Amino acid sequence: MKRYDLIVVGAGPSGLSAAVEAAKRGMRVVVFDENEKPGGQLFKQIHKFFGSKEHKARIRGFRIGQQLLKEASDVGVTVILSATVIGMYQDKELVVRIGDEIHHVKGDSILIATGASENMVPFEGWTLPGVIGAGAAQTMINLHGILPGKRVLMLGTGNVGLVVSFQLLQCGCEMAALVDAAPKIGGYGVHASKLARTGVPFYLSHTIKKVEGTDHVTGVTIAQVDSKYQFIPGTEKHFDVDTVCVAVGLSPMSQLLKMAGCKMVDDPKKGGQVPVCDERGQTSIPGVFAAGDVAGIEEASSAMIEGRMAGVAAAEYLGFMEEAACSREEDELTKDLDCLRQGMFAPKNKGKKIDKTEEGIPLSNTLLTKGYLADDEVEAFPGFTHRVGVHPVIECTQNIPCNPCQDVCPKECISIGDNLTALPVVVENAACIDCGMCVASCSGQAIFLVDEDKGDGTAEVTIPYEFLPLPEKGTEGYALGRDGRKLCPATVSRVRTAKAFDSTNLLSMRVPREFAMKARFFKSGNAADAAGEVAG
Amino acid sequence: MAQRIALHPILGVPEKGRPVKFTFDGKTLEGYEGEPIAVALKANGVMVHRYTKKGHQPRGIFCAIGRCTDCVMVVDGEPNIRTCITPLKEGMKVETQYGVSPLPFEEQGCPSGKKGDGDETV
Repeated sequence: MKRYDLIVVGAGPSGLSAAVEAAKRGMRVVVFDENEKPGGQLFKQIHKFFGSKEHKARIRGFRIGQQLLKEASDVGVTVILSATVIGMYQDKELVVRIGDEIHHVKGDSILIATGASENMVPFEGWTLPGVIGAGAAQTMINLHGILPGKRVLMLGTGNVGLVVSFQLLQCGCEMAALVDAAPKIGGYGVHASKLARTGVPFYLSHTIKKVEGTDHVTGVTIAQVDSKYQFIPGTEKHFDVDTVCVAVGLSPMSQLLKMAGCKMVDDPKKGGQVPVCDERGQTSIPGVFAAGDVAGIEEASSAMIEGRMAGVAAAEYLGFMEEAACSREEDELTKDLDCLRQGMFAPKNKGKKIDKTEEGIPLSNTLLTKGYLADDEVEAFPGFTHRVGVHPVIECTQNIPCNPCQDVCPKECISIGDNLTALPVVVENAACIDCGMCVASCSGQAIFLVDEDKGDGTAEVTIPYEFLPLPEKGTEGYALGRDGRKLCPATVSRVRTAKAFDSTNLLSMRVPREFAMKARFFKSGNAADAAGEVAG
Repeated sequence: MAQRIALHPILGVPEKGRPVKFTFDGKTLEGYEGEPIAVALKANGVMVHRYTKKGHQPRGIFCAIGRCTDCVMVVDGEPNIRTCITPLKEGMKVETQYGVSPLPFEEQGCPSGKKGDGDETV
């Protein structure tokens, strides 16, 4: 039987991070993963991450995955793929299926970093081909380059539902609607707003009644639900779609830990059955650790820190590291992790009713129910300012731990301060040079550069743009409001792309002055139609 | 028919293996070597991978990561192959799975499925 200092189960963000830390300290580490490729779900994450520099904020998930793999190979971590760990027994013995063979291995320490699996809700027609998990959609489009369908309805408005919907739009799918039985959008408002401004409707307090089709999906009917989640007759709405995506949460895949006899607990805030762990991720069995989603559903950034923590803790447990050095490392990592676990969406605030920001500003109710900030709500936020000349307008209205906008501005126009969850403020007398770094770096695509008066009756609005085809300078079209409605004619005045923008293009459009603070998206097409619609 | 992404705004041109031919229920189709069988089928507009044993209900891709077993088919004569994680190879013989067989239910001597009892996996 092969023996290792540390066996890691799962080569996702937390597993790989742990393996790196352990290998750095001279431990003999092996990582098993049942998939064909390492990285877990990181390689499907094409959006820019939130957080601060320490959390690799504003870097796209798949690039973080590439960095992590390189780091792992540099320190000599062995990753064995297509290897399914099917059992964990006494004395840290694991049974692994590799191809057609069963192997027994033993670890002096073990980290379970198996992640999570998607939850499902049954409804009439849910087994029809064309009903898929949101993860499946993400796998198809971002790993395999194929669209799951042409027109999609998304069930679930947590961050997974929101992010995957946007990714579906990006690769050319049409989003018919986002639907959630809850009365409020579950994920970040900024993610919802990216969808709403393109014209995607949200239906909160609605769920799927029936998916139609004989051997594949041809349509879906949703209906409103009351406060007890019962359908309200007469509220049915039908959509012609060929795909229904389900994003209704994740559950920890903690079976191995349970099997090994770790003390488990049912914790709804953590997404289901999780092991009882100490602050470094050690379970009730000394030397057996858990990190990442398996220990409680969060996201990749915190999973990576938890992984590093478990790697360090395993090194100390086996004497590869002095206790003092270990606690120094742990203090650093704990600090990073605590930073991420703040704000409205922190695990500790799950299920809590919050109606004001930390600054005491009432939250936008329209944002929570329709996905966009109403024109009269947005004025209350500190990033939403009127200035002479070009200036950033920041429509970031929920306390999320994130600060790249403050970091990237060369003129220090934007201030968040030391509290990572504070809403960004546009500094008084800021000398904005229109570089666009804040627009491109905002992971929530919530920053716009606005020159409210170009002197000729028009205003220039610069928006982040991550779609194809990229309109060229001079393209005529119309501007859409935050709510995705056609607002006014617009002409593309500039299109900027740069390596530093990392695939986020900056599209500037000229709109009539009065729409400077309302125009937030551009579509090419007949402007006359747009004007007609506004007039009508 | 499902569309392949030719150019992605963030990811660029998807990396693909060489084009290879394979058969689906006797018809010759084309896909890219190494991509999941399910992706090649999807690109060719195939939605139904199998029919359930009891209810004869259609199933297709559901999780796309090898967990749910909804997309299993008969591949090179072997049933219950998870097509969403099995790489496509030149000349592969892919067949719709009826219960656990490539033979349609009529040929298996069980022509009618029990309706409303379609939740079994194989």
